[in-house]
Amino acid sequence: MSVIGTHEPDSSASRRIALRAQSVTVDYPGVRALDRVTLDFRRNEIHAIIGENGAGKSTLMQVLCGSLAPTHGTVVRNGVTMRFARPSDAMRAGIAMVHQELNLVETLNVAENISLGREPTRFGGVVIDRQRQLARARELLAAFGAEIDPAAQTGDLSIAQAQFVEIAKCIASEAEVLILDEPTAVLGARESARLLTLLRQLRDAGRAILFITHHLDEVVAVADRISVLRDGLLVTSFERDASGVLRGHNALPVDEIALARAMVGRELGSIYPIKGSSSTPDPAIELVNFGARGRSREINVSVAPGEIVGIAGLVGSGRTESAEAIVGLREREGVVRIAGRAVRFSGVRAAMREGVVYVSEDRKGRGLHTTLSTSVNMTLPTLDAATRFAGLWLDESHERGVTARWIHALVIRCARPEHAINSLSGGNQQKVALARWLETKPRVLIIDEPTRGVDVGAKAEIYAIIARLAREGLACLVISSELPELIGIAHRVVVLRNGTVAGELSREQLLETDCEEQIMRLASGVFETAGCSR
Amino acid sequence: MLSMNDRFASTLRTTQELLQQWGVVVAFVVLFGISTWNQGFDFLNAENFRALLNSHAPVGILAIGMTLVIICGGIDLSVGSIVVLAAAIGVTTMNALIERSTSESNAVLVGAIVTLLCGVAAGSLNGVLVVFGRIAPFIATLGGLAAFRSMSLAVADAGEIRSQSATLFGSLGRGGIPLPFLENAVGKQLTLSYSTVIFFSLAAIAQWMLSRARFGRHIIAVGANETAARYAGLPIAWIRFRVYALMGLFAGIAALIQSSRMNSVSTAQLGLGNELDAIAAVVIGGTSLRGGFGRVWGTVVGVLILGMITNILTISGVSPYWQGAVKGGVIVLAVLVQRGSRG
Repeated sequence: MSVIGTHEPDSSASRRIALRAQSVTVDYPGVRALDRVTLDFRRNEIHAIIGENGAGKSTLMQVLCGSLAPTHGTVVRNGVTMRFARPSDAMRAGIAMVHQELNLVETLNVAENISLGREPTRFGGVVIDRQRQLARARELLAAFGAEIDPAAQTGDLSIAQAQFVEIAKCIASEAEVLILDEPTAVLGARESARLLTLLRQLRDAGRAILFITHHLDEVVAVADRISVLRDGLLVTSFERDASGVLRGHNALPVDEIALARAMVGRELGSIYPIKGSSSTPDPAIELVNFGARGRSREINVSVAPGEIVGIAGLVGSGRTESAEAIVGLREREGVVRIAGRAVRFSGVRAAMREGVVYVSEDRKGRGLHTTLSTSVNMTLPTLDAATRFAGLWLDESHERGVTARWIHALVIRCARPEHAINSLSGGNQQKVALARWLETKPRVLIIDEPTRGVDVGAKAEIYAIIARLAREGLACLVISSELPELIGIAHRVVVLRNGTVAGELSREQLLETDCEEQIMRLASGVFETAGCSR
Repeated sequence: MLSMNDRFASTLRTTQELLQQWGVVVAFVVLFGISTWNQGFDFLNAENFRALLNSHAPVGILAIGMTLVIICGGIDLSVGSIVVLAAAIGVTTMNALIERSTSESNAVLVGAIVTLLCGVAAGSLNGVLVVFGRIAPFIATLGGLAAFRSMSLAVADAGEIRSQSATLFGSLGRGGIPLPFLENAVGKQLTLSYSTVIFFSLAAIAQWMLSRARFGRHIIAVGANETAARYAGLPIAWIRFRVYALMGLFAGIAALIQSSRMNSVSTAQLGLGNELDAIAAVVIGGTSLRGGFGRVWGTVVGVLILGMITNILTISGVSPYWQGAVKGGVIVLAVLVQRGSRG
């Protein structure tokens, strides 16, 4: 697919443009998060940005709201090139952002939060005019039918209510451009619908609205323009025509399925190893009516020795929570069976003794001690084996031996194991995070985002390692947001949504060309497949 | 490209670590030089060193325990109060036994054990509050700072508890190993006090534990990143609890030395402000208050630096009122250097 060029706008159209990202590029060390993205955001328009995790959506939002300076390119507001040093600069320029993490002061009431920093005052700015403050908040909240008492304490609100207050706060700031990052992620169906109605009202009142979401049905329902990001590139755009039909640049109408295809549209490369087969019918691990506490307990999955089962699902679908619940890092509901025996682990150590290990998605915060050395990290879970005399003597030669063995076995590029591990590249750190658990000789490996922040070369190596481990009889559960990765290495893929198994793709289904779309549809809850013309 | 950068960064880091590592030693040598140059023989003689070590050994012992607590990501403000409470209960117990005509040696032995056990009990209470009560270490031990001292004041009506042991109890704090060939100005033979020996022995044990035992490795891992330690399967609660209990034991040892040296316990004075001196020594020694990194030998040098500052200011006749200001300056300077070199 081609990149849509900037239009040659006539003067009335260019006057409608409230905000423009002009050839914005953002480089992180080793990664180009955004690559020459040019996008216009118009008044009286809802513009949805969609893409897979890591496609660059959040980076783009950060640039637009001033919390991140682009490496190249500019942000143009009403025809004027802006240079935002901090979010307050963007706010002053009339750009407000509703973050996923809400920024409300819990100890203040709703009205105080809404007028925070712009309190109506009396007597020349000395005293806050509480009557006006409350009245203004009541008016705003009533405007979009939210039944929230402006005098209520913010800390007592539900997440959905807090979200409305946050939006009211942005509206109160009279910002012309509103940026919403996954606003419906925490909302139920009714509240989502109400929020979408509110967005339409705001659009009709002349605001430019930018909105990131994973829910394609919402996009189709409400967006006037849709831009698709993939690997930092703007791959295509869709626009709603006068009759209300969304059309691509080839003028063909689109639906959710076409959007899903545009998001993932990528060929599977050869970085994936050949899949082995698992012949043992007896599962190494079985989850029966399982779920993390507070989630629905409807996960039923089993993994046989030698089998790689992929777990797909959007952020918030309960993938990581479930994995952590298995190894005892969280409370859980339901039954876990290891080799046919029901178990309940009190913690990571207990799980490890039964041969179940979990490699965290959060390598820097949880998976490794970044300030400690490579060899300390390597032996931390198995330190008992390196100690003599009831732990009083740490055998350093044993420790060095274990480290050297894994450095050799997994081809970890690490010149000095005694140096802090954060001097290693992401891929090599990931190999250490994996190796320390392989040293425990596990039967079941649960690996969460095995290649997050890892370059392509190391990715292929990690896939090869996982495939080899499976061939040697390890049962592997691979959780990932990268669908090509799951399709490339897993024997079958289980899709989670809202803590429930939404569906499963067999080995044969994974060979079909549209399997990514199928996973996307299951993950985002779009089931209807009929009625699309391609 | 990346590996070049990595190599450059790691070289830079190595240099910084070297500076960081030896900064405290450099400070010690400089201070030692200034003292010698300024005061000559008044500073540079065996009798003075003996006195310096002897007077700072109890705080030094607290500082060793404090090093472990801080590396584990905590803090213990209650140590000075644990000292006075353990000493008060220990001496009271001993006196009661002597009054019931138990033999003096048995009474002293029981009193010493009770002192140590009181320390462990108070430290364990801190541990329970911090680990199982999920109270921030600063707050939990701030409570201990107030409560333990108040309890000891209550035991003795805020007065002094005199030991009923004529000589035996005091001999532990005052006695020592004779040093041949070393005599003081009036020809009396010098001794290496037991308290100094205990201080250095405990330092050696703690340093060895930190770098060579599983418990030490666990302390470092918990302090560096508690969440990551939990994900690695370490028994976090048990590790942290033991660190506070151990701190209590060290406070008990310091209490025994101080009460025996005075052969009495002044409940209003004993251990007062010791927690701050201990924390200061740890910080000067280069242990990170953020946890996850530290060394006991640095703390020992930190104790010696604090001792020398007091010592040299005293011999030079500077008003003792100014000593706090100088100490404060050194502590802040140490933190600045630490931050500068560790990013």
